Amino acid sequence: MPAPPLVHARLILRTAVVAVCALVASLPAPSSADEPAFGADWQRNAFATSIFEINGTEARNNPLRRKLNQPFVDDELFIRYRIRYAAESVDTPAEDEGEFVVMWLDQVEGNEAATHSGGVPNIGIHVSGLQNRFMVRYASTKESFAAELRGGRDFLVVARLWKSDPGRDRPFDQLNLWIDPDPDAEFQPHASVESRQSVSQVKWIGFSTGRKTEVEDRIDVWDIELSKTWRGILELPEQPPVSEVPVPIAKRTIDFDQHVFPILDGKCFSCHSGDDAEIRLDVHDEVLNLVALRNADDSHLFHLVSEREMPPQDEPPLTEAEIKTLKTWIDEGLAWDADRLPPPRPQTEHWSFQPIVRPKIPRVKHAERVRNSVDAFIVRKQEALGIQPVPPADPETLARRMSLDLLGLPPTGSDTTVDELLSNPAYGERWGRHWLDVARWAESNGHQHNRFRPYSWRYRDWVVDAFNSDLPFDQFLAAQVAGDELAADDQSERSHLIATGFLAAARYSGNELDKRIQRNDILVDVVNTTTSAFLGLTFECAQCHTHKFDPISMRDYYRMQAFFANGQPGNLCIDDDTRAAGLVRERWEIYDRTLNRLVTVRQRKGVPNPELVLPKTVVSRISGEDKTRFQELENQIGQLAQTWGFYSAGKQSPTIAPHEMRWPLPRDAAALGEVKTHLLLRGDINAPGPEVDPGWPLVFGPTPELGDRPRKALANWLTGPDNPLTARVWVNRIWHWHFGKGLVETVSDFGKQGTPPSHPELLDFLASELIDHQWSTNHIHRLILDSATYRASSQFEAANAKRDPENASYWRWVPRRLESEAIRDSMLAVSGQLDVAVGGPSVPTDGGSQRRSLYLRQHRQRLSDQQRLFDGANGIVSCSRRRVSTTGLQPLWLLNSTFTQGAANALAEAAGTTSKAFQLCLGREPAPDELAALQTHAETQGLASACLVLLNTSEFLYIP
Amino acid sequence: MHFLNRRQFTAAGIGAGAIALQSLLAGETAARDGASAAPHHPPTARSVIFLFMSGGPSQVDTFDPKPELSRLEGKDVPDSIVARVPRIKRAGLKNLMASPWEFHSHGESGLAVSTLFPEVAKHVDDLCVVRSMTHRNPVHGPGECVALTGTGTGDRPSLGAWCLYGLGSMHEQLPAFLTMNLHTDGMQHPQAAGWGTGFLPSRFQGTVVDPAKGISHVTMPEGTTSTRRKSELDLIRQFDQRFVERIGGNGELEARIRSYQMAFEMQTAAPELFDIASETADVQKQYGMDDAATKLVGRGCLMARRMVQRGVRFVQLRIGGWDAHGNIKGNHEKMAARTDRPIAALLNDLKQHHLLDSTLVVWGGEFGRTPTMEGLGKGRDHSPAAYTMWLAGGGVRGGQTIGETDELGYTVTERPVSPQDLHATILHALGIDSTRLVYDHHGLQETPLGVSDGAPVMEVFG
Repeated sequence: MPAPPLVHARLILRTAVVAVCALVASLPAPSSADEPAFGADWQRNAFATSIFEINGTEARNNPLRRKLNQPFVDDELFIRYRIRYAAESVDTPAEDEGEFVVMWLDQVEGNEAATHSGGVPNIGIHVSGLQNRFMVRYASTKESFAAELRGGRDFLVVARLWKSDPGRDRPFDQLNLWIDPDPDAEFQPHASVESRQSVSQVKWIGFSTGRKTEVEDRIDVWDIELSKTWRGILELPEQPPVSEVPVPIAKRTIDFDQHVFPILDGKCFSCHSGDDAEIRLDVHDEVLNLVALRNADDSHLFHLVSEREMPPQDEPPLTEAEIKTLKTWIDEGLAWDADRLPPPRPQTEHWSFQPIVRPKIPRVKHAERVRNSVDAFIVRKQEALGIQPVPPADPETLARRMSLDLLGLPPTGSDTTVDELLSNPAYGERWGRHWLDVARWAESNGHQHNRFRPYSWRYRDWVVDAFNSDLPFDQFLAAQVAGDELAADDQSERSHLIATGFLAAARYSGNELDKRIQRNDILVDVVNTTTSAFLGLTFECAQCHTHKFDPISMRDYYRMQAFFANGQPGNLCIDDDTRAAGLVRERWEIYDRTLNRLVTVRQRKGVPNPELVLPKTVVSRISGEDKTRFQELENQIGQLAQTWGFYSAGKQSPTIAPHEMRWPLPRDAAALGEVKTHLLLRGDINAPGPEVDPGWPLVFGPTPELGDRPRKALANWLTGPDNPLTARVWVNRIWHWHFGKGLVETVSDFGKQGTPPSHPELLDFLASELIDHQWSTNHIHRLILDSATYRASSQFEAANAKRDPENASYWRWVPRRLESEAIRDSMLAVSGQLDVAVGGPSVPTDGGSQRRSLYLRQHRQRLSDQQRLFDGANGIVSCSRRRVSTTGLQPLWLLNSTFTQGAANALAEAAGTTSKAFQLCLGREPAPDELAALQTHAETQGLASACLVLLNTSEFLYIP
Repeated sequence: MHFLNRRQFTAAGIGAGAIALQSLLAGETAARDGASAAPHHPPTARSVIFLFMSGGPSQVDTFDPKPELSRLEGKDVPDSIVARVPRIKRAGLKNLMASPWEFHSHGESGLAVSTLFPEVAKHVDDLCVVRSMTHRNPVHGPGECVALTGTGTGDRPSLGAWCLYGLGSMHEQLPAFLTMNLHTDGMQHPQAAGWGTGFLPSRFQGTVVDPAKGISHVTMPEGTTSTRRKSELDLIRQFDQRFVERIGGNGELEARIRSYQMAFEMQTAAPELFDIASETADVQKQYGMDDAATKLVGRGCLMARRMVQRGVRFVQLRIGGWDAHGNIKGNHEKMAARTDRPIAALLNDLKQHHLLDSTLVVWGGEFGRTPTMEGLGKGRDHSPAAYTMWLAGGGVRGGQTIGETDELGYTVTERPVSPQDLHATILHALGIDSTRLVYDHHGLQETPLGVSDGAPVMEVFG
C-alpha cells in the first residue's frame, strides 16, 4: 500500500494543466517526467463546447476525451475538476430517472458511445435512491456515493486513484472522492470504492454522459487537472518533507492537558482515581464507557455534572465554564493524554498468571503406589487425605479403557501398548474430534442461510494428521493462528493455509445489508474462540466492559481483535496459484459483466439498491458464450484444491475461489488491509471509540513492534517462554480428555471465575514436561497412561467415598459415558460394519454411511440424531466439555432407530452365538448367569434382539 | 464429574412439580437449592404456547393502527421521527406506505385489529397487545435468536430450556418441551438455538416434532412385538443394574436405567398424543383442518392444545413466511389465511377445556417492519425498532395494550419492552424469578437474562 499522500516527500511542480476555459489556451506547460502530462488536445464532439459545456444525448455519449503524453503507470494519481450543472436541467430521480455524467480514466480512447465502465474508474454524478449524488465507481456494483448534486452551483471534485498493491502491472484498485475538500482539515474521503477489476494504466481520460442525461442538459466542466500529490491537485504551497504526518481530523478546541486535566485532577480525582475507586476517571477506557461518544447531551457522565449531582454537595462545585469545557471535551471526542494518564498495567496475583515453575517430584510414604512421577503428586495428596487407592484395573478392563479413550473404539486385541495405540490412525480421528469441539468447527455458515462449506473438511483432516504425527503443540497453535502468514513467508509451508480453518470456522449470516455487524460478529467469534482455546481466558466479557474478574480491559479485547481485523474466511486455493488466479479472475469478469447488465436494467426501472442482486440470479442470467465459458470455469475451479481458511491482505495472499452465496465480506483482499480496529463502546459497532493497534493484554507486559506478520508474532508470544497459560491450558485439556475432568475443571477458564487446580504442582509438572519435550502431546499421553492413577480400577470403596465423595484425589477411575461419535463408531466396529477409510469430504448424515462419525457432515443445525441426543458439539461456540445428559429420547434411538437395528442384525450375523456377541461388545467373558439370561432371551426372541440388548447396556456405552 | 446421588436429590428439597425432572437429574449438580428452586412465587400459568411468527409480521398492518400513514403516504419520514430511528441500512426513511387494511375496534375493550385477522379479533378481550417491543438486530437469524434466547449469537439457552430447567416436566411420558416448525417459506430456516440449550445440559432441549408424524424413533421396528420389547428391557435393566452395583452408587447410571422406563412409556403416550382421530370432526374443522391453507397450522395448533392438556410445559410453534419484502399485501394475506382461523380456534378451544387460565399463549415475530415502502414493490423491510407481540391466558389481563409507538409506528415512544423483558414476563407467569433461577456454568452463575437488564412487564398481569 502506498503511504498516505500527505507523506509524499517531494513536491514536483505541477505541470499538466488544462486550461480553464478555452481549449486553445491549454498548451501544455513544461512537463516534468514525474508528473502525468496531457498529450494532444482534447478530442471533442459536437456536444462539448469550447467552455466544455456538455450536453446529454439520452444515450451513452463520450463528448470530451484526451490522451496523456504517456501512459500513467505509477501507484497514485490525483484528479480534479470543477463542475456546474444548470439548475433547470437537473432531473430528480423520482421524476425522471435522474442524471449521469462521469469523468473516466481508461487505457483506451473508446468511440463516441464507449461506456468506459465495468472496471474503468469513473468519477462523477449518478442516482442514489432518490437523489443525484457525486460518486466514484468501477462498475454499477462498485459504486460509492458522496454529497448530493445541487443545480447552479460550482463543485470542486477531487479524486485519488491508487494501487493498494503497488506495481506497474497492478490494477488501480482504489478510488477515493472528495467534494469541495478542505485541504487543511481532512483527508478522510467522502466516498471510496475498490475493485481489483480495474485498469493498471491510464492513457486516456474523458467525460461521458448516459441514458439519463438529456440533450437539454447543460453541464459545465473546467479546471481539469491531474497530479501525483494531494497538495499538487489542490494547488497548495509546497510543504517541506516530513517523516510522519498524522491524518488530520476535525480540529479540536479543547486540549486535554491544558483544559480538562486540571478539572479532573482538582474536582474529581480525589474520589475517582486509583485502584480503589469504584468509578475511575483516570482511565480513558472507563471514561469512554461513561459517555455517548461525541454527544455530551446523551452522556451519563455529563448529566451527573450538569445536573450538579457531581461533585457531591460538600465538595467544591464545578464552575459553569468548567462544565462547558467538559461538554466540549466530550463533544469533540474525548481527547486524552496517554503519557500523563496511561492505561494502568493490571497487577494480579491469580495463580494462572504466575510463571510456570517446574516442581520437585514429591517424596511419598507409599512408594509402591507410584508408577511414575505423575503418581507422586497424586499419592501425596491421597496420603494427606488418608485415602487408600483401589487396586489397579484388570488387564481386560485396562485394554478396553485405553482403546476407547485413545481410539474411540473397543479393543480388537491387536494394539495393546500405548505406543501402538498412538500410532493407530484411529487415534487422530478420536483426539482430532476433541480439538474440533474446542475449535467450534463445522461445515456451514450457520445462521439463517447456513450454506454448506464444501472444503472445510481439509481442516478436519489437518487436525487428525496433526495428532497422528504428534505435531508439536507450539507448531499446531502457530499454524492455526497464523498459517496464512507462515505460508506466505515460505511457499513450502503452503499446507499451513489449511490450518487457518481454525479461525475460519466462525459463523456468519450472509446478509447483503448490515455488513458491518456481520463482519464484527466474525471477529468477535474469532477472538473469543482463540483466547479461550489457547489462553483459557473468557475474553468475551471484555467486549463490552472491562472484565469484572480477570485483568482484561476493553482495550485489551480490541487490541486482540486487531490481530484478526485485516483478515476474513474464504475458499483458499492451496496449489497451482497462477492458474487458479486466472480462472477465478475470468469467472468474476463474466459474473460482473452479467451483474452490471442486471443492475443497469434495475437502475433504469428505478429500483432502489439496484446493486443487490442475488448471486444465484446473476448466475442464472449469464447468457450466450459467457454461459458456456462460465460453466467451464466453474468446473475447472471446482477441481482446484481448495480449503476453507482465513487470509489477510498482502502480497502473498492465496487466490480466493468463489463461495457461492450472498457475500457480506469484501471480495478483494486489498480492502482488508485498510481495515482499522476501533474500541467499540459497549460492544456496539455503531459506537466506535479510539483506534487501537494489535497487542496482547497489558497484564502480560508491553507488546513490542509486531512487524508485518502480526499473527505470527501473536503465535510466538502464545508459545513463548514468558506465557504462563498456553502450556498449562493444553496439558490440562489432555488430562481432562483422559479422565473426564481436568486438574482445572473449567478447562477453558483459567481466570478467577474458573475453578482452582486440584493439583497445581502436577499441572506445572506436566506443563514443564510439555515444553521441555518439544511440546509433544504424545509425551504427555505416555506420562498419564503409564501412571497408576490412570490404571486404577473403578472399584467402589465406602471409606474413600466418605472422605472424598467427588473423587477429587483420584482414588479410583470413574467410568464415563462415551460421546455420541464413539457410541455409533463402537456399534459399527463390534458389528463388523465399520468402514475405516481415513479423511476426505464429509458424508451425509442419513445416507447409511458406515464411516466413523467424525466424517458425518457437520452442517450446523442439521446434525445427526445421535449427535443431538447424546450431547454432541453443535459447532456454534467452543465446546470445552461434553456434558452427559440422560433423557427418555435416547433409549428410543438406541432401541428403534434404523441404525441400531442394523447394527444389531449385523452383530448377530458376525457373532453367530450369544457368547461371541457378548465378547465382541463388552470385551470380556460373560458370567454364567449373564450368558444364561442372554441365551434364554435369544432362544425366544432371536440373536439379533439379544445383540440389541448388548448394544444398549451401560457397560457397552461407558469407558470402564 | 459430580454425580448427584439419591441422598442429594431429597436433600435438595424440591417442590412436587419438579419431581419428574428430578427423577432424571444426573450427570451434574444443577445449581438449585432451597433458595433458588422454582417456583419462586405462585404461578399464573403452568404451560406456554409460543406462536413464533418467523419473518417478522408488520405491526402497522396488524395490531398497531397508524392513520397518519394514509395521510403521509408517499412522503418521507418526518425529521422528528428520523432522529429516533436507529441508523441501520434497512431503516428506509422515504416513501411512507399506508396499510392496505382497515382497522376496527372489537370486543368490550374496543381494541383495534386490522381486517387481516377477523377471527383472532373476536378474542381481543383476552389479548394483551404489547405495541412497544424493541431491539436492535435487523437480521433474521440473529433476530430469531434474540427473540427466543435473548442474544443474537445463538449460544445461550432458549427460553423453553430455561423453563424446563426451572420447573421440570409435568408428564413423564412426554418430552416437556416440544417444537413444531411449520412453513419455512423462503430462506428463513429455523434457528436451532430457538429450542437449544446453550450451556444447559441437552436434556432441557426442545424436541422437534412434525405434527403429522410425531416423535422420531417412537415406533418400534417392524417385527418387534411388545413381548420382545419387554424382554429386551428386562434384560437391559438386569445388566445395567449389575453394572451400577459394580461401580458403586452412581446417579447418572441410575438415571439411565429409569430413562428406559420413560422411553417405554413414551412409546405409548406419544402415539396417543399425535392420534387426533379422537378429536371430533367439528373440532378439526374449527382449527381449519378441512382447508388447504389452514391445514398445517391448524394441525399444529390442535397439537399444541393436546400437548398442554397432557402437561407439556413449553410448546413452540414456529410459523415461517412473514418476510414481506416484495409485497406486504400479498404476503400478509397469505400468512393471515394460514394462521387466523387456527390461532382463534386454539384460543377458543383452550377456553373450552378450561386450559386458557393455566396456559400462556404468546404471539409475535423476531421483529416488525418499516412503515416505509421497501423498493418499489409495495413491501416493507425489517425493523426491530418497534413491533408488536401479544399475550393471552395464563394470568394475563386481556383487552389492554401496553406501550406506544410514534404516529408512524416506527419507533417506541412509551414503555419500551425488550425481548428480555418479555422473557422475564413469561418466566414470571410460570412462577420463576429470572434473577433467582441460577445455573452454575463453569463457575459463572448464569441466569436466564444474562447480563441484560430485563424485568417482567407487570402491567401484563394486572
